[in-house]
Amino acid sequence: MTTARLLRPRAPAPWPGLVAILAVIVCAAPAMAVLALALAGPPLATDATSLSLIANSLAGTAALIVLGGGGATLLGAGAALLVTLHDFPGRRVFEWLLALPLAAPVYVLAYGYSALTWAGGPIPINLTGVAGAALVYAVGFYPYVYLAARASFATQSVCALEAARTLGARPFATLTRVALPLARPGIVAGAALAAMEIAADYGAAQHFGVATITTGVFRAWFSHGTPTVALQLAAIVLTGAVFFLVLERRARGRRGYAGGSTRWRPIPLYRLDALAGLAAAAACAMLIGLGALAPLAWLTRLMLMRPIADFAELGGPALNSLALALVGGAITLFIGALVAAGARGGGAGGRLALYAASAGYAAPGAVIALGALTLFGFARDAGLVGGLGTSLALGLLIWTYVARFAAPASQPMEAGLARITRNIAGAARSLGAGPARRMFAVDLPLAAPSVLAGALIVFVEILKELPATLLLRPFDFDTLAVRAYAYASDERLAQSAAPALIVTAAGLAPILLLARRIAAARAGAS
Amino acid sequence: MRDGVGRRVFAARAPRRQAAPSNRRFELVAPAVRRLDAPAPAAQDRIENNSQESPPMPLPSRRAVLAGASLAALAACGQRQASANRHVNVYSARHYDSDRRIYALFTERTGIDVRVLPANGDQLIERLRQEGDQTEADLIVTVDGGNLWRLTEAGLLQATTSPALEAAVPSRFRDAQNRWWAFSKRIRIIAARRDAGAAIQSMDELAEARFRGQICARSSSNTYNLSMMAARIERLGRANALAWARGVRENFARPPQGGDIEQLRAIVAGTGSIAITNHYYLLRLQQSADSAERAVAAALAPIVPDQRGAGVHVNISGAGVSAHARRRDEAVQLLEFLVTPEAQRVVQELNLEFPIRPDTALLAPLAALGRFHEEQIPFDALGRRQSEAARVYEEAGWL
Repeated sequence: MTTARLLRPRAPAPWPGLVAILAVIVCAAPAMAVLALALAGPPLATDATSLSLIANSLAGTAALIVLGGGGATLLGAGAALLVTLHDFPGRRVFEWLLALPLAAPVYVLAYGYSALTWAGGPIPINLTGVAGAALVYAVGFYPYVYLAARASFATQSVCALEAARTLGARPFATLTRVALPLARPGIVAGAALAAMEIAADYGAAQHFGVATITTGVFRAWFSHGTPTVALQLAAIVLTGAVFFLVLERRARGRRGYAGGSTRWRPIPLYRLDALAGLAAAAACAMLIGLGALAPLAWLTRLMLMRPIADFAELGGPALNSLALALVGGAITLFIGALVAAGARGGGAGGRLALYAASAGYAAPGAVIALGALTLFGFARDAGLVGGLGTSLALGLLIWTYVARFAAPASQPMEAGLARITRNIAGAARSLGAGPARRMFAVDLPLAAPSVLAGALIVFVEILKELPATLLLRPFDFDTLAVRAYAYASDERLAQSAAPALIVTAAGLAPILLLARRIAAARAGAS
Repeated sequence: MRDGVGRRVFAARAPRRQAAPSNRRFELVAPAVRRLDAPAPAAQDRIENNSQESPPMPLPSRRAVLAGASLAALAACGQRQASANRHVNVYSARHYDSDRRIYALFTERTGIDVRVLPANGDQLIERLRQEGDQTEADLIVTVDGGNLWRLTEAGLLQATTSPALEAAVPSRFRDAQNRWWAFSKRIRIIAARRDAGAAIQSMDELAEARFRGQICARSSSNTYNLSMMAARIERLGRANALAWARGVRENFARPPQGGDIEQLRAIVAGTGSIAITNHYYLLRLQQSADSAERAVAAALAPIVPDQRGAGVHVNISGAGVSAHARRRDEAVQLLEFLVTPEAQRVVQELNLEFPIRPDTALLAPLAALGRFHEEQIPFDALGRRQSEAARVYEEAGWL
């Protein structure tokens, strides 16, 4: 009965609507709980202190998104452009090493940089405030743009590029008029991820002393004791995220990206001459050095000063981190796939699902966790659940992960899907495949590089996640990130180095593995 | 009817999936999940609990089943340390090695296991609020008098007393209604670069114009600074506090950033010459394995301020029995253990904090700071005045 209905060619697909409802419940409920509290609370604060707090927070976040996010986008898109369309010494290695900074939590980078750059340190420059935070965001978050843009470039049609060449376009014109516009969904999706990460980051902004919306939420909530102002700020973050997303959609317009092709061949690389090749290699090496090697080398030096006993204590936390990242990652990826598919189905439902996921992602982790906790409180008052025991705490925690990271799981997928030609969908449909079958048998395999990018990002994100894990985990359940933070927040950087490096190392393997798979995933690549 | 069908599908598919997790995308995942799956004693009710909060999926999914099973395994993994022994659950805002050592010692002495949830103090309060009478917390440990006050205000602690506590903890360092008991203290001091040769004896002087461009301090959103300001407002009033904060802000060598240790490093490197810090950060640099850090400490003179005036600003760590504790006896036992000479020694050794028991011998690095007299205000004030303190800082431009 159901199958028959799905097979009927012109039947409207019901499930983008269902997905939207699911996404709103799973991804947006914690954020909506926070908003509901904001509306139910006392009247909005309008006193001078609160207003100046709000203004400072907005200005700080805006500056960081422009400088840090802009920097990350330039670096990431530039790197993707270099390694996918050009040939230079070391290209094959750089191709996947460039994803490396993704493994290091940005708060670890911040600690590493401020330890490196104090006036008496190895790099005696004054790296402070907005400049410091923006630098750390740019070098720490560029892989988001790089991976998404790379996947877009890698699945690009050779035909379009060759057509441009036969029409007499010089390499530079081919780049700016064909390759870049075709990769735009990927670049924009990556930039959006970076911007949302910046808006939600707490650790680095706090460390460099920049007043942002996220630090403002905590300042208002816990220092001023004015949850209303905190909620107002949280509401601003959430609205901002959705607004940003709408802008992104508008920018992309209704154009279809029918750039893919069924004739897969390796993209012919533009060979750089010796000098330019060296410069390109140096640029890639510098990116990796700034985003990972320099701060991590410093942490390694600190770690080596510690006794071996420190490491023995990290086995349990390491296992917990891994288990959470695997289980939470699998669930998040599944929900993310549904959201991406729903968004692809078009219509208001699909868009709603995407916005719901983005709202969760742009909100600071601790705010989402507080929202989830509030919902738990309601359920407990209503007698639906008992205490926050081990299983319930883990359930809430994983729910928070899904709410936070469904967007990074779905956005690369969605961008990848956008690059599959409408003809393929049409063909599958004419062969009688329903929307679910089309999604899992045709679209997702074709968008494999993007799905892998999503998987990689979510796994590592959960590994690094801090505020929600801190708040919602059960007894005796430390993760590596929690340990690293506990020591770093107590200014014991040397002791925090070991767990921080293990988090990074644990994220490293999947990142390198998946980055290589993305490189190999291009159909027709030798 | 449909449910019945769904269940059959669920039952038929689940074992196959567990026996052969062959999804290629999760090759890395599979071994770990299988291993975790193996013990899963409490799988059934985990899955039920889980289904209460996640809505029904539109597609029956093998992956969801796998995920559910893994969640159950994860839960089992979280509980693996809960043995048949008696135990006590601790919510702690202190994630120090010293506390882990003290809990291990406690288990050694009493056979009672300690299960700990260390997290940020303010957020723990929010979690306790939401958990209400269902909380599993028996003992609540936190840093800062302000946090202790907020715990009592929220009704999250119950009164406790015992001869051992009464004997060990001076009355100034416990709640008037015995809801919390302090077990360690720290002081907020001034560090001055020796070669700058500045003569300074009180916090008040930091606002004097002669120190223009000389002072490094961390952000005012930090608890240590908030409590120091709350104490000043309590002693001298808001106007004085605001004028002082403005004066200090005008003397900043750079905008506030980083923690206390970073201020110490900055002044040694020549950015200013005077920093505000908790005493143990400076002591920790003195004891560091890193010679560069020891050199920083050697270049600094610790000054315990206000010895001719109101006394140095003191803050405490304390603990109280959760209002809804299910293991009250064990919680009280652990509370008492925190103020035994043995635990008080660990607090000094591993965390370089001052013991709360007046009869404890001080270790050398702490004794080297000399005997000092302490600011005398009730610790409640640190909480009552905290939001006012935050506003004063902001008004003064010390962010």
